[in-house]
Amino acid sequence: MMMRGGRSLVSSPPAFSNDASKLLVCTSNTVSVFSTATGFQITSLEGHTALVTSVLVVPPSSPAAKVLCYCWTASLDGTIRYWDFSVPELLKTIEIRVPIFSMVIPSFLDVPAEDKGKHEDLFAYVFIKDTKETQDKSKALRRQIRKCNLSKSCLVGRLILGETKKLEVLTVSPSGKFFGICNKFKLHIWKVPDQGSEHAAVRKITLHHTKKITVITFHPTQRIIAAGDVTGRILTWRGFGNRAFAGSNGIENQKLINVQEDKPGVRDNDDADSCSTWHWHSAEVNVLSFSSDGTYLYSGGKEGVLVVWQLDTGKKKFLPRIGSPLLYFIDSPDPTLSSISCADNQIHLLKMPSMGILKTISGIKAPCCYPVKYEGWGNGIAFDQTAGLVALRTENYCIQFYSLFDDRGISEVQVCERNHQPGDDVTVIVTAVALSIDGSLMSTSEVKLAEEGIGGLVCLKFWQARSQNKEFSLSTIVYEPHRDAGISAVTFHPSCNMVVSSSFGGDFKVWRCNSDISQNDQMRQNFSWTCHAVGSYKKKPMTAAVFSADGSVLAVAAETLITLWNPYKNVLLAVLGETLTPIVNLSFIGKSDNVVAASCGSNPQLSVWSMSKLSLSWSYKLRIEAVASALDLSSFAALALLPESSNETPFKGRDGVILLYNATDPVPTAIWSVRKAKGGALGFLQVNPSSVEEISIDGQGKQYGYASIYGELPELDKKRPETPWVPSFPSERPWETIFSGSSHNLPPLTKLCSAFLESLLEKRAAAVE
Amino acid sequence: MTEIRAEEETSTISKTFLIKPKLKSKPRTLPQTPESKYWSSFKSTRVPNLVSSISSLSFSPSPPHPFAAAYSASVSLFSPLSLSDGDVSPSSTISSFSDVVSSLSFRSDGLLLAASDLSGLVQVFDVKTRTPLRRLRSHTRPVRFVKYPVLDKLHLLSGGDDAVVKFWDVAGENVVLDLMGHKDYVRCADCSPVSSDLFVTGSYDHTVKVWDVRVENSTSILEVNHGKPVEDVIYLPSGGLIATAGGNSVKIWDLIGGGKIVHSMESHNKTVTSICVGRTRKENCGDESMEDRILSVGLDGYMKVFDYGNMKVTHSMRFPAPLMSVSFSPDCKTRVIGTSNGIIFAGRRKGKENGESGGRGNVLGFESISEPERRVLRPTYFRYFHRGQSEKPAEGDYLVMRNKIKLAEHDKLLKKFRHKDALVSVLSKNNRENVVAVMEELVTRKKLLKCVSNLDTDELGLLLMFLSKNATMPRYSSLLMGLTKKVIETRAEDIRSSDALKGQIRNLKRSIEEELRIQHSLQEIQGIISPLLRIAGRR
Repeated sequence: MMMRGGRSLVSSPPAFSNDASKLLVCTSNTVSVFSTATGFQITSLEGHTALVTSVLVVPPSSPAAKVLCYCWTASLDGTIRYWDFSVPELLKTIEIRVPIFSMVIPSFLDVPAEDKGKHEDLFAYVFIKDTKETQDKSKALRRQIRKCNLSKSCLVGRLILGETKKLEVLTVSPSGKFFGICNKFKLHIWKVPDQGSEHAAVRKITLHHTKKITVITFHPTQRIIAAGDVTGRILTWRGFGNRAFAGSNGIENQKLINVQEDKPGVRDNDDADSCSTWHWHSAEVNVLSFSSDGTYLYSGGKEGVLVVWQLDTGKKKFLPRIGSPLLYFIDSPDPTLSSISCADNQIHLLKMPSMGILKTISGIKAPCCYPVKYEGWGNGIAFDQTAGLVALRTENYCIQFYSLFDDRGISEVQVCERNHQPGDDVTVIVTAVALSIDGSLMSTSEVKLAEEGIGGLVCLKFWQARSQNKEFSLSTIVYEPHRDAGISAVTFHPSCNMVVSSSFGGDFKVWRCNSDISQNDQMRQNFSWTCHAVGSYKKKPMTAAVFSADGSVLAVAAETLITLWNPYKNVLLAVLGETLTPIVNLSFIGKSDNVVAASCGSNPQLSVWSMSKLSLSWSYKLRIEAVASALDLSSFAALALLPESSNETPFKGRDGVILLYNATDPVPTAIWSVRKAKGGALGFLQVNPSSVEEISIDGQGKQYGYASIYGELPELDKKRPETPWVPSFPSERPWETIFSGSSHNLPPLTKLCSAFLESLLEKRAAAVE
Repeated sequence: MTEIRAEEETSTISKTFLIKPKLKSKPRTLPQTPESKYWSSFKSTRVPNLVSSISSLSFSPSPPHPFAAAYSASVSLFSPLSLSDGDVSPSSTISSFSDVVSSLSFRSDGLLLAASDLSGLVQVFDVKTRTPLRRLRSHTRPVRFVKYPVLDKLHLLSGGDDAVVKFWDVAGENVVLDLMGHKDYVRCADCSPVSSDLFVTGSYDHTVKVWDVRVENSTSILEVNHGKPVEDVIYLPSGGLIATAGGNSVKIWDLIGGGKIVHSMESHNKTVTSICVGRTRKENCGDESMEDRILSVGLDGYMKVFDYGNMKVTHSMRFPAPLMSVSFSPDCKTRVIGTSNGIIFAGRRKGKENGESGGRGNVLGFESISEPERRVLRPTYFRYFHRGQSEKPAEGDYLVMRNKIKLAEHDKLLKKFRHKDALVSVLSKNNRENVVAVMEELVTRKKLLKCVSNLDTDELGLLLMFLSKNATMPRYSSLLMGLTKKVIETRAEDIRSSDALKGQIRNLKRSIEEELRIQHSLQEIQGIISPLLRIAGRR
């Protein structure tokens, strides 16, 4: 079976339903509908075959129609679709055949409700990339704004409103009279022609600025347009288009031209009455929006601060410490509710006048980009096998717990008490996270970077969970557990409260927990962790550590050797060796007496060692990113990166494979190919006692790996921004179809179990042969 | 029976709502309130030498609201405009009376004036020509009052010492109705402002009777007992309440509720002789909206303003003679009071409206100009949710205090990114833990070395002193030893140029040498012990 999740919630602006009880979020190929009251996903609209770029809710024509739930979506697959998202049901599909990057429907917002008798045509303006071959190669401007008749399902004529080199987002005014785009130093505004005139020339004005404009917005009632630029300035043009849009009355035009002398702040001969500038943001403005009554302007940018400007006076109010660059601000029909989308894949629902965060819809967070030196110290991803959670390190010094089955963020634990400001230098790094088998204990290590060699600090922290919903509280901090050496791995003992931390400084420490139960009014366990034993092997850096499934053996990798210890008595049992390059990943294979080691470097290797014979069973020369083994099976999985050269036809752009091995057999029992395997992780999850599921997370590695997933950098869009974790597997697995579909649509696991087990048994019989 | 009941009610209710007579004169304390300011703003003019007691005063309902005063056997008309200019002579005088004039009443259009005298004659004059148009003779005893109904131009009401109230058809000079029921002199009457058929009369038999001309057998439809001989009675503008004056009390009655007493105002010390309805500016609502008041005058020389909405006396004013009559102009500009010794105190207020509506005509004073429309905040507006946020706590409110975290000096400075100041401030405080914590924070901000290079000589001395004391502490040495090295490297020249700093460096050296000695001896001990341990472990 395969499940996908962890999609970006912030690839395009979300939309509120008419009663503000639902939030429609573009999540790669689907539109997910979230409840604003609970923050949970209700349903999703599935049908597009590429990234959905716009979602527009049909506004109610009368107050009674507020319960109606219709929306239009546009996608890169070249279709515009019409949905009833309460059911959810696809009502209509319009083929445009060229990728649509942005769509606006101005007549939605026009106040006079269309009377049902004479059915007016519905027009949309779409921003498309013309992929058709043209004879004129020199003409690079293939990004066009086109008008589309939604009622007749066709693009209107040959009407091309504008062409730009880069993709821009169309912005429509709340009154539905204008729409515009920003194009480098200019912004273009079109007046929407009256209904019915299909070929009427659409009038356009252009306003100029000296900096690159990033975002624009229209005032709800007045002729005011605000634009933000890359330097953080906000420009406000008042009375734009008085000349060009003044209507057909020539006399009026004359009059207006006569009074054009005094136009403070307006550049060149632009068509506006005045232009004023505000400057608070230190970097690019990404968010601009007027309040519904037009008295306030919201702005936000890279600093992660929402600024509310009083339009008349320029007074400011702030919502600071959002912790991540802002991407979109959406007002809801309910004036007390609005949403901001952040670059860390979270959507915050704000209670409006007070600007408090009511709910947070969080997707999986991008990993932080670390200095090169600290990369590749393990990937810092831990799995909670029983609850199906994954713990990820995030940029704001947090550990995010993400539910793989529910596909949503559960909670966050702030590991170190620092305020995170986007754009700050990273000086504290969370290097490792480990979870105990039952998920109730967590251990993290962090490094405070030294300033020119002084003041560096390594910390090992132990946490215990308060309740089921992963609220961890700190129980012990150990400063400099291995003197000034960094921690390479932290592992929990499978059954008792024991942790091993191995360091590059050449030793490993076994930590045990003294739980003193203080009985004041209720049972409260106080855990305190103390060092139980120290071990080292020939002063070699310890690079990985792992416990066997029953906890009786501790394997610690000392660079190229594997040392086996009795963890209780701290006695060296045996030494296995040796590999060509240092081992970074070590894992016992279930109940069998084999241990698998992955080493990296110039001579990467995946090797399986037999403990009974104390010798190498078999090995491959493979670049292994992650290894995982199930506790009670004799198989293990490895995520291998494909060599650059072999990036050919069988794996279309996929750079990694997941290999499932039986411990004794060097022939893999199953292979799946994945995209963006660099920086990925693997883990076996217990779904129920008899079935095992495999989940991999990938697409992390390089700094832009995730960026491209979330579509942050438009130039990487070709890389298919909607990468899920596990792209489709080769379909030789018979049980794949059983589980296909998202998790909440599945029949209960108890029903599926027998079918699944049957198919599994068949498969294994084949593998044994 | 009814009388007794009314008495009981009076007593019980006056217990509940009793307003004690104010013995001290009020004006000394009151001028602060906006209302007394309003009443004091009537600029008083004396009209002297009118021979005898001013028995009646009446304003014409038509602008510019001249008023007529009855004194002795003559009636004088005054123009309030000329009064405000200081001209106190009457604009015209009617003196075709054979006896003392007792009462005056203008018709609702202000063209006719009815006057009664003690000979029992009621005459109707044309105001302009001053010629008597009709003479109504039927009363056998002195007539005490005459009244034009508010909404009726054809009839008149009169009554007098013969205890009969007569309802006249003016044009035909004949009596339509003889209303008998009072057992003593009828002294006063008022016609309902809302109905042309209803009126109320007050008599010395302590009763006030309400009459309806439509009732056939000519009996009163309601009767209330004032408890004292009734001197004056008026309808309050709503038409549902009446106020009666008698003795030293003014009582307010609810006619619709069946003649229940509403309130009794007893702040006069002597007999109240006359009452009328006055209007004042409503508090905090600007000029436009007005509130009704009862003006009462008495023989004690006081004019009191009574707010019958709040049941309290809002203003009182003293005059140097017993007062006989009071009247208030419909445009709220003029208030006239007549005394028993022939003086009229005419107060006129200057207002902004003066220029606009003064002599020009059709603006009725009672008309209220609508307030300028305010923009109503609706829940779709952002500002709707901000309303009342800047509200100050009222006296009785319970304030929830927010716990304020007290930050130390260096924390505040760190918050302001004044890194060097923070370091200096914490160094001067002499708390090891804090200093190390601040240094660690500076390291995470990558600012420690910058701070060190910015320190001036004194501050560097502080830092070196701290380092020499603590650099060898095992807890902090990993950070401080590195820092010491850096400091000496970067600030070598400054240290060389200052003797004080050199001294610090010497101290530092000494402590480090000490530490080295200790380390040395510890290593020696370790060297002795470790073979022993090895042997012990082997056993």
